[in-house]
Amino acid sequence: MQGIAQLAVEEALRAGADYADARIQRLACEELTMQDGSLVRADAPEDFGLGVRVLKDGAWGFAAAPGTHKDLAEVAPGLARRAVKTGRDLGRLRTKPVQLAPLEGQVGEWSTPVEEDPFAVSLEEKLGLMKQADESMQGRDEIVSRVVNLSLRREEQWQASSEGSQLHQVLVRSGGGLAATASAHGVVERRSYPASFSGNFMAGGFEVVRAMDLPANGGRMRDEAADLCSAPLCPEGPHTLILGGSQLCLQIHESVGHPTELDRVLGHEVDLAGASFATRNHLGNLEYGSSLVNLQADSTLPGGLDTRGWDDDCVPSGSWPIVKEGVFKGYQTNREVAGAVDESTSRGCSRAESWYDPPIVRITNLSLQPGKMSFDEMVANTEDGAIFADSVRTWSIDQRRVNFQFTCEVAREVQGGRLGRLLRRPTYQGNTTSFWGSCDAICSAEHFHLWGVANCGKGNPMQVAEMTHGAAPARFRGVQFIQ
Amino acid sequence: MTLLSSDHALEVCQALVKASPADETEVTLQSEEDRFVRFSPEGPSQNGDRERHSLSIRVRLQSDAGWKEARATVGTFGESETRAALGRAMALAGAAAPDPKRLPLEGAVEIPGSAPHRPTQDHSFREKAEWIERAMASCAEADLAPAGLARTTVYSRTLVNSAGRVAEGALSRAHFSLTASPTDGTGDGGVAEQTHCDVGCIDADQVIARAVDRGRRGRNPRLLPAQEYTVVLEPLAVSSLMLFLGYAGFGAQELHERRSPLVGRIGERMFPDGLQLHDDAGSADHPGWRFDGEGTPRTRVPLIQDGAFGQPVTDARWAKLLDLPNTGHSAPQPSSSGPSPENLVMGAGMESVEQLISGVDNGLLISQFHYTNLIEPRDMILTGMTRGGTFHIQGGQVGESVCNLRFTQSLVEALTRVSGIGNRPEIVGALFDGEIVCPALRIDGFRFTSATEL
Repeated sequence: MQGIAQLAVEEALRAGADYADARIQRLACEELTMQDGSLVRADAPEDFGLGVRVLKDGAWGFAAAPGTHKDLAEVAPGLARRAVKTGRDLGRLRTKPVQLAPLEGQVGEWSTPVEEDPFAVSLEEKLGLMKQADESMQGRDEIVSRVVNLSLRREEQWQASSEGSQLHQVLVRSGGGLAATASAHGVVERRSYPASFSGNFMAGGFEVVRAMDLPANGGRMRDEAADLCSAPLCPEGPHTLILGGSQLCLQIHESVGHPTELDRVLGHEVDLAGASFATRNHLGNLEYGSSLVNLQADSTLPGGLDTRGWDDDCVPSGSWPIVKEGVFKGYQTNREVAGAVDESTSRGCSRAESWYDPPIVRITNLSLQPGKMSFDEMVANTEDGAIFADSVRTWSIDQRRVNFQFTCEVAREVQGGRLGRLLRRPTYQGNTTSFWGSCDAICSAEHFHLWGVANCGKGNPMQVAEMTHGAAPARFRGVQFIQ
Repeated sequence: MTLLSSDHALEVCQALVKASPADETEVTLQSEEDRFVRFSPEGPSQNGDRERHSLSIRVRLQSDAGWKEARATVGTFGESETRAALGRAMALAGAAAPDPKRLPLEGAVEIPGSAPHRPTQDHSFREKAEWIERAMASCAEADLAPAGLARTTVYSRTLVNSAGRVAEGALSRAHFSLTASPTDGTGDGGVAEQTHCDVGCIDADQVIARAVDRGRRGRNPRLLPAQEYTVVLEPLAVSSLMLFLGYAGFGAQELHERRSPLVGRIGERMFPDGLQLHDDAGSADHPGWRFDGEGTPRTRVPLIQDGAFGQPVTDARWAKLLDLPNTGHSAPQPSSSGPSPENLVMGAGMESVEQLISGVDNGLLISQFHYTNLIEPRDMILTGMTRGGTFHIQGGQVGESVCNLRFTQSLVEALTRVSGIGNRPEIVGALFDGEIVCPALRIDGFRFTSATEL
């Protein structure tokens, strides 16, 4: 495969490319969904193909096609020539040529550490586990839907570039979850474990799924979903909010991850995903949050969905602060945009969904660093009437990533220093920097967990990427709730 | 670069059905050719000249306790890869528990013929560059920063099953969009787009003129209080709302699970008589796939008619469960997703957008909503932000630009308060997915719950 990628690069250079890279990717997945005890999705998708990217006359050209092992070598030269032609057709419209941050050729291999190959675990065992999880959600009349998911993915990629890079990477991720939906009294409520929208996902093997212990948690989800149907609506007005880690994952993703993608700041995403309030004049001086807020980007994070050896620009992985002690310190960049903030090297955030897509700047693993308080201590030291909320139900944020409104699956009222009655449909809204500025406590490292985002959409045409956000529960003051 | 010929696709599918050891087999092969150029203030920023295939094999094993079934998909159609996919599907089906509710596959059907639109398929990068060049020049003249997409895509799909069903079709799409934003950051920008199955029907200059006009007028917006307003929603804004009814409202499964706005409301006169919504894959201006994920012909389904919600869309399984006709809206099976409409078409009204505006004393003209999402399914409570040009209407006249506002509003309730329907439907999409043919709408008492400063 490496030879075919190199062949594509060489053909592109022969056709006149100023720069070229090629990615061959083979993807294998296993997707299982059980609904109400029946296996309603049993799919084993595989995909395989080649994408060739060039710079010609200051513009990108990209061409891609699927192939078998045999015919990719036949396809590669033609793709390379097509990519060069596209660059040539479009170069005259560039107001300034694309310039890449310098990089020495990279050579190496990288694989996700895996304890238990997820594809080697028998189907019978997987389905048995799902059946147990499904049965754990049975027993309440209010439940109208029980869903259990398992999702396993292995991505193998060969990269070559005209700068001498030769890379081979194997990324494995596993995950799953369960969800119980209840309908009663004209109200529909869902509870999900360990996270909503198909569960949680981490880099690793089947040990990730086993550690979730789905069957032990279905009964609690069933009861909470059913009980929420008769719970009062979460009260309106300003309240202290304690956010659980799964909801903080979304908060980090939408209000820190996306606004600090430098391509958004430069206007490359304005036509669909939008722009960013975190413009370059704010770098180094914007008070993004309170002094407790430290957000670290890290594409070397063990278990992270964007943990890899190199990105799709062949840039090595790394770790750097985005927000340090509340101050905006860094962007997520690729080789094309790094120079716009006078950085001599890319942060390595260039990724494509597959061989079919050109790479774009993506959020990498980005985590809220833990504080010092235990969760019990945090609740005990919070006033009556405060709200604890967790698990994403729905989300919306404006195109500059300032005004957000998020709804969680579940909330509980703080009473007497403990979590009390269930509250339905907690919906809070705010302004990104004011919200993070109101953070006055973060739980300690023992409460810190990794939450995988397996469905991040960006680009036009849209591409899906995966990344992880680590978080421990955190407290925010004066948050506005609406009904 | 060419799509697979109909004969070649049919040959691949039939060979796999024949080779399958399963009791029942269904094979679907979709091919796609795509050319796109995305552009930003510095010119073309991304592009793609690409093709892909997706071959999906569904196998079913019969037992006394019901059908066991599974699917495997592969991105190529070489013999060794497709046979491997067949093996994976058989292994998965063998391990599945039998489901007594599954029905046998159905046989032959008549599907209206369709072919890729050749000029759309052949539309070149140079032709796209001409659109983009004009957009960049117009934006530069107006001191606006351009961002947009020029794209043409053609698809073909063939489905063959072991019960004798053969369904074939093709789709074509051309799209041009432009967002024109003030270079000094003093406004959100103006947005316009066109989508059509015939690239010759894309009027790039009209898209450019509209976006530039909105971008020019959108500078220095004024902050208005978040409260209820009468709104005139242009088609792009209407799409963000109505597509949620397609995602989560009109399917038989959602109705059965009591999480649909149809629960207890089918046939109840709630909406103005002029409000008409159908699912219609045969729409002349915007044709969709004429068969569903099981090869069943898609029928035209009235979803809102005579002021009331109609029956939900179904597939074979849900039609039998609910004793309704099979409307042909299945996802590829097996699937946890129930049937859903994919080709929403709203009926046109009698008024121009100008006439809709003239009936508003104090309200808002809204071009687009950003990141609309569903809070509550039974009343379809949605939230989202205005974007791409929001203007104050006073005394029936469009006035100054206003800062973006967030709405939190029940769509069901909003549709009961439609007070005007535009006479020019457009083909438009939304952030998450899907397209709809819809006109502008005027809605009274639309609830906004917060605002931004831009």
